[in-house]
Amino acid sequence: MTLTATSDTPVAPNTRLGAATQAVAAFFQHPWVAGIVRLSAVEDSLRLLHPMLSLTQPRARVVRIVHETADTKTFVLQPNALWHGRRTALAGQYVQLQLEINGRQVQRLYSISSTPGARCFAITVKRQPGGLVSHYLHAQVKVGDVWAVGQPEGSFVLPATLPPKLLLLSAGSGITPVMAMLKDLQARRYPGDVVFLHVCRNPGELIFAKRLQAIAAQYPELSVVTHFDDISGRFGPEALQLAVPDVAERSTYLCGPSGLMDAIHQHWQAQAYTAPLHSERFVAFPLLPSSAPGTPVNVSLASSGTQFVTQGNAPLLVQAENAGLNPKHGCRIGICRSCQCTKRSGTVENLQTGELSSAPNEAIRLCISVARSDVTLLL
Amino acid sequence: MSFAKPTHLSRDQIDTLGHELDAIRASVMNTLGQADVDHMRRMIAICRASEVGGRALLHFGVGPLSWVAGVLALANAKTLDNMEIGHNVMHGQYDWTGDPALNSQTFEWDIACDGEQWRHSHNVTHHTYTNILGKDRDLGYSLLRVTGAQRWKPRHWLQPIANLLLAMGFQYGVGSHDLELGKYKHGAIPKPVFKERLNRFLSKTAKQWFKDYALFPALALWSAPRVLAGNFCANLIRNLWTYVVIFCGHFTEGVSIYREEDTRNETRGDWYLRQLQGSSNLTGGRVFHIMTGHLSHQIEHHLFPDMPAHRYVEIAPQVQALCAKYGLFYNTGSLWKQYGTVLKRLFTHTLPPKPQTLGA
Ligand code: FES
Repeated sequence: MTLTATSDTPVAPNTRLGAATQAVAAFFQHPWVAGIVRLSAVEDSLRLLHPMLSLTQPRARVVRIVHETADTKTFVLQPNALWHGRRTALAGQYVQLQLEINGRQVQRLYSISSTPGARCFAITVKRQPGGLVSHYLHAQVKVGDVWAVGQPEGSFVLPATLPPKLLLLSAGSGITPVMAMLKDLQARRYPGDVVFLHVCRNPGELIFAKRLQAIAAQYPELSVVTHFDDISGRFGPEALQLAVPDVAERSTYLCGPSGLMDAIHQHWQAQAYTAPLHSERFVAFPLLPSSAPGTPVNVSLASSGTQFVTQGNAPLLVQAENAGLNPKHGCRIGICRSCQCTKRSGTVENLQTGELSSAPNEAIRLCISVARSDVTLLL
Repeated sequence: MSFAKPTHLSRDQIDTLGHELDAIRASVMNTLGQADVDHMRRMIAICRASEVGGRALLHFGVGPLSWVAGVLALANAKTLDNMEIGHNVMHGQYDWTGDPALNSQTFEWDIACDGEQWRHSHNVTHHTYTNILGKDRDLGYSLLRVTGAQRWKPRHWLQPIANLLLAMGFQYGVGSHDLELGKYKHGAIPKPVFKERLNRFLSKTAKQWFKDYALFPALALWSAPRVLAGNFCANLIRNLWTYVVIFCGHFTEGVSIYREEDTRNETRGDWYLRQLQGSSNLTGGRVFHIMTGHLSHQIEHHLFPDMPAHRYVEIAPQVQALCAKYGLFYNTGSLWKQYGTVLKRLFTHTLPPKPQTLGA
């Protein structure tokens, strides 16, 4: 499963306070009320009173930071009343975090690593070399910081009726959703047989080592297997078969780097295993390579469902018009921003500055942007 | 005043000037960051606090002193919301942050002018066709004669009064700008389109009136007259202030007016040159600049309308130095001096032109 930006469809909150807050927000959004008191001004004022106060936005405050390994930290977050995950979150789901890094809003998805149902929830983040967000989380974030958060989402979850045999298989920071599953199994007193197999480079990189030990001590049905690449060599299907001889019979939940996930999937198919293999892939937003001017690229318009191929150097506005569309525009020289629209993904070049950008969900001006890779526009 | 004289600069010089201005722009745009967002958030915080405080003083205060303080606080909030926050955010100066609260296309402000209509009349029309007679409808707000190139009509005898009325009700002037009443009268705009625009304008105005002149006074019960008068005065102060600042931006002595045919096939350099010669600045301190929404740096604003406005202060010396280098007029002065020249122009052009100066 590939994860991209989540939608923010409002869901009915489960708490009374949350419901009341939403009712107040709906009142402010009524056309007449909105014309008199702007909801945004109310939100500004509430934020001034307390950063967690909002009528529209689930937010969470960092209440504790746990150092898991040299490059992994767990952030324990206390949400406000608009976050309904305490009732609805399922082990294995993720949330979107909205952070402000040097003035820019940045969104990332992180698995919830804590047991569902607790008052607070946690995410666990491994510092990635060159990773903007993970670096920021590690270097800048302090207890007390407040972030906007999304509601729990994702279908990489344990079923309500559990199968008799389970394998939770993870590598690197892929451990976070399966750790939540393991805690959930423990909380649900799962009587079946569960193997927790985790792959990482060396013992120093084993995230949640102590937690795993503690759970294993209280949980006789659980066997924890670790595979350290530095000691036992690269992990693959053969190693899996060796470590878990009855893998074919186990419902498997898999999360890790794509290379490993592909190998396991192929193995599953090649061996024609019938036990289900569930997996989740977190795709960091790829920095798409930009193609040279003149290369044909695909432009998809997400809202109208149209698509066209372009290879010229003409701005997207002109290209869209040539394709028979009539996007909103004004000056056509990059001043008025009438033509501004959200670029979901892809690389564009700003014709005025020559700058290339591939940030997801970025506002671009169609009249001064050319596509330099396949792009998807919210148009 | 007549049309801009052909520039003494060569094509190459204009191109180089364009590149030099691009470099100034890049030097700021590449360093946008937390400090810029923090500035805007601070302005929003001050504005909201000032509005809440002002309204509280009007509603619950006793005596004339608290009334005056309330009016000033509310006028301050409305001015900040209009100039330093609304105007700048709606130019897209903070779109790079990705913060929906600072998004140019959805921002709405606390004045009679509908945001969407302003984005068209201001961002599209005025900023694209700056000072082109017949295209830039900010030129005299289609109401006043500010240049000899505009045809004199008998109604211009009343220009001083029209000017005063426009100043007092400036928000309605700005708000009705996108209606293009003149064009409609000449049949250039179909009736349904005009109707739609009119409805938008009227509905925003009605909401503003309902808020300031009905709802809030009613909520104040026996203090209703006090609140109503206070709201009226706060609006009036904001109107007068924004009028003065905006008129000082393009109608001062020495700004150039352009003919449509001279601005065809403009290069980026030409466009920069027109913005530079068509705008004028005001001198003052930091607070003054903020209260004008940094339109005291109208020149820099017209060159770089989507640069966070509080950065104009730091690039102004570089722009001025470029002007010196190319022998261009950097039009700046104190508020009194600049507004004095605006008045002089208004009064001069109130009078019908003397036949022999026609076309001079
Ligand atoms: S049409 Fe004006 S910025 Fe693109």
